[in-house]
Amino acid sequence: MTLATRLTGTRGFVSRLSTGTRVGLLLVGLTVLIAVLAPWIAPYDPVATDSAHALAGMSWSHWLGTDQYGRDILSRTIEGGRYALLVSALSTTAAVVAGTLIGSLAAFYGRWVDGAITRVLDAVLAVPAVLALLLIVSVFGNGLPVLVLAIAVVYVPAVARVVRGAARPVLSSGYVTAARARGERSLPIIGREVLPNILDTVLVEFAMRASWVVLLVSTLSFLGFGVNPPTPDWGLMIQENRTAVTVAPSGTVAPICALALLVVGLNLAADGLGKYFGVDRARRGVL
Amino acid sequence: MTTMPSAPTAPSPTAVVEGLTISYQASGHRVVVAEDISFSLRAGRTLGLVGESGSGKSTVARALLGHLRDGSAIDAGTVTVLDHDVFALDGESLRRLRGEQVALVAQNAGHALTPSMRVGAQVREALLVHGLPAQRDRVEELFRLVRLPSPETIGGRYPHELSGGQQQRVAIAMAVATRPRILVLDEPTTALDVVTQAAVLALVNDLISDLGMSVLIVSHDLGVVSAVADEVLVMNAGRPVESGPTARIMSSPQEDYTRMLIEAAPRIHGVPLPDDRDHLDDDVILRCRGVDIRYPHAPNLAVRGFDLELRRGETVAIVGESGSGKSTVATALAGLVDTERGDIKLRDADGTVHDLLGSAARRTVTVRSAVQLVFQNADLALNPRRTVGDAVGRPLRVFGLASGRADARARVARLLDEVGLGAEFAGRVPAQLSGGQRQRVGIARALAAGPTLLIADEITTALDVSVQAAVLALLDELRREHALSCLFISHDLAVVRSIADRIVVMKDGHIVEAAPTDRLFTDPRHPYTRTLLEAVLEPGHTELPASDVDEEPVAIDPRASLVDLGGGHQVRADEGVDTDA
Repeated sequence: MTLATRLTGTRGFVSRLSTGTRVGLLLVGLTVLIAVLAPWIAPYDPVATDSAHALAGMSWSHWLGTDQYGRDILSRTIEGGRYALLVSALSTTAAVVAGTLIGSLAAFYGRWVDGAITRVLDAVLAVPAVLALLLIVSVFGNGLPVLVLAIAVVYVPAVARVVRGAARPVLSSGYVTAARARGERSLPIIGREVLPNILDTVLVEFAMRASWVVLLVSTLSFLGFGVNPPTPDWGLMIQENRTAVTVAPSGTVAPICALALLVVGLNLAADGLGKYFGVDRARRGVL
Repeated sequence: MTTMPSAPTAPSPTAVVEGLTISYQASGHRVVVAEDISFSLRAGRTLGLVGESGSGKSTVARALLGHLRDGSAIDAGTVTVLDHDVFALDGESLRRLRGEQVALVAQNAGHALTPSMRVGAQVREALLVHGLPAQRDRVEELFRLVRLPSPETIGGRYPHELSGGQQQRVAIAMAVATRPRILVLDEPTTALDVVTQAAVLALVNDLISDLGMSVLIVSHDLGVVSAVADEVLVMNAGRPVESGPTARIMSSPQEDYTRMLIEAAPRIHGVPLPDDRDHLDDDVILRCRGVDIRYPHAPNLAVRGFDLELRRGETVAIVGESGSGKSTVATALAGLVDTERGDIKLRDADGTVHDLLGSAARRTVTVRSAVQLVFQNADLALNPRRTVGDAVGRPLRVFGLASGRADARARVARLLDEVGLGAEFAGRVPAQLSGGQRQRVGIARALAAGPTLLIADEITTALDVSVQAAVLALLDELRREHALSCLFISHDLAVVRSIADRIVVMKDGHIVEAAPTDRLFTDPRHPYTRTLLEAVLEPGHTELPASDVDEEPVAIDPRASLVDLGGGHQVRADEGVDTDA
């Protein structure tokens, strides 16, 4: 059965997932849906200040209260995921695509090419992600392209190593040898013979990296290197409202809950997909 | 705790299986793995359980250890071992039964041994688990018992430092360490080459008489069972077919299925050679001269001074044990490993001569399509995510042989027809095919390129005997129809006898003997060729060659060279080789 037919048989697909996986996919789906529909469902303009009602508690007009500038916390929480999700989706995709390509090329060529690529990846892996990002953002600014590219670069090595590990056993199989004997080039062999057989690993890798990236993006915002105020963003909200945590706790708690639900959802989904596709990390000896 | 009887009370059977029926539940319906199987084991006697893959023989064998695969259940019958119903035992008694009273030797010792532990420690563990003394000299004694070389020091080695035959000996040492009453051997020699197989079976035979165990040997190979078993039970699709004394079953089988199995087994005695061998013209299509091959960064050459001439329509078999360099020759011809020295020339259909040196990526399309490989392991030879039609159609696209999609589809259908599968197989994926069918797809894929030279690398090793016979027949038929030249690589002389015109015997990267098939079988000159011939096991052939240790029975003199005896018979002039014409 090919992966495509597995995925198109949606009913069979869902029925064979564990409860945890379904909850995970539901949480992720809901967060994405809310973020996409935010402009239409947010009750207030998230950046409109109202000094008369600053730090108001929960009420019928402001369900989660307001922050120190009188902005509606519910609206800001609903809108706050948009930027992080956009950056995460773009940079995770970029990291997984580039990592998959680099990892399978390293596995394909082996020997010194593999050695050289792996050493470079190791060097990048040795640099702490947050530190590297802070440096890049302070030099090149915090524009969307810079951020996406920087995060992608930081996560490419991890993806590449996993894909390299998964691709190696496939490359020693007879069908790859047959393709080599036909004189096919590296990219057709990787695309036709290798990728379909490691797609499960790549998908799980995507789900896992996504949760890391969401946290990283929010960390950047929290540290003041992500989005600029007054744009609503979960990381930024936590930072802005933490001084008022005793007066209006929802300003900190709401974005934390939203973030936690998304990350937990992504992890549950990654775990479940891994089990569903039979990707056993320990058995394959990759991390 | 249940106590096990420590001594046999009477010459009663050690194990009795009665009316055993095992099934498992799969997507709503019951699948019967074994049905109504009955047999008994006696001390000092060996029962052979024979059947093709999927016949349920392993399932039955493992039931003796009280083991069922997940989801399987016993529907009827009993398994009584040493007067205990195995499936009524509690966990602790079952643990004591396993290893202590009933021991198992699995097919692949390479997988059965822990790679990160020294083999001595693994044997010691087997003793300790059952509370037996496990001093150094006891382990040494066991290694001596299974005739491992240098038993004093071999315990300090890791499994990967041992050969396949030595690994299997360690596994046997572990199994007999506790002096079990019953030994279950599940395809113990299937992963070994013929010479090693004969040595391991000779050891098993000696252990049976020395230790007085009851033995159940499971095999798909009637030759193996013939050599060690006193009685045989033939199984087919989970059902018992026939049982009785080995000699009776082999000489006068009562059932068609048993007869078919015996006839399909490759043999070297009593079968006339095919006589349509005068079809050869002098059109040499492949000529290798003094070829040296070395794997990148390897200290030693894998193949040394390889010479070969292959004519149009001819089948040459390269025979040798694992590590003899026979597959290396195939990979070099296919351009997957570079040659270090020497000369390989290929003449294609229109008479142009090409150099077959250098990697496939640097060869022209004509050369790449002219040399095609069929692989040993059909399970790994086809991409599990691509349909059969995709796999067979790929060479057509890469080599630009089909004009348009419709033409490609028609050609794929024709190729699948030719290998006996039919066009409807084009839409299936490898998981839906049997081993024999996958190998046929592999052959169709090679044929699609329109090759001049077909290299078959151990293509029948993983197949059942009946399927093997069919695949060999297909290959021979295709060779005749397409005027193909075949290079057939195998470790078993019996397999190549029916299809090869000439045989090249290799050892340690050298050619030790090359001769027309009938000459090689009637007048083998090199001691290694004779070792190979003696190691062939045939149904009804109960003698095993005396072989103590599977270490270097034959010395290869690096300075010796091939001597021509005339009539295409060449032999390497090693010590003790008769080189008179």
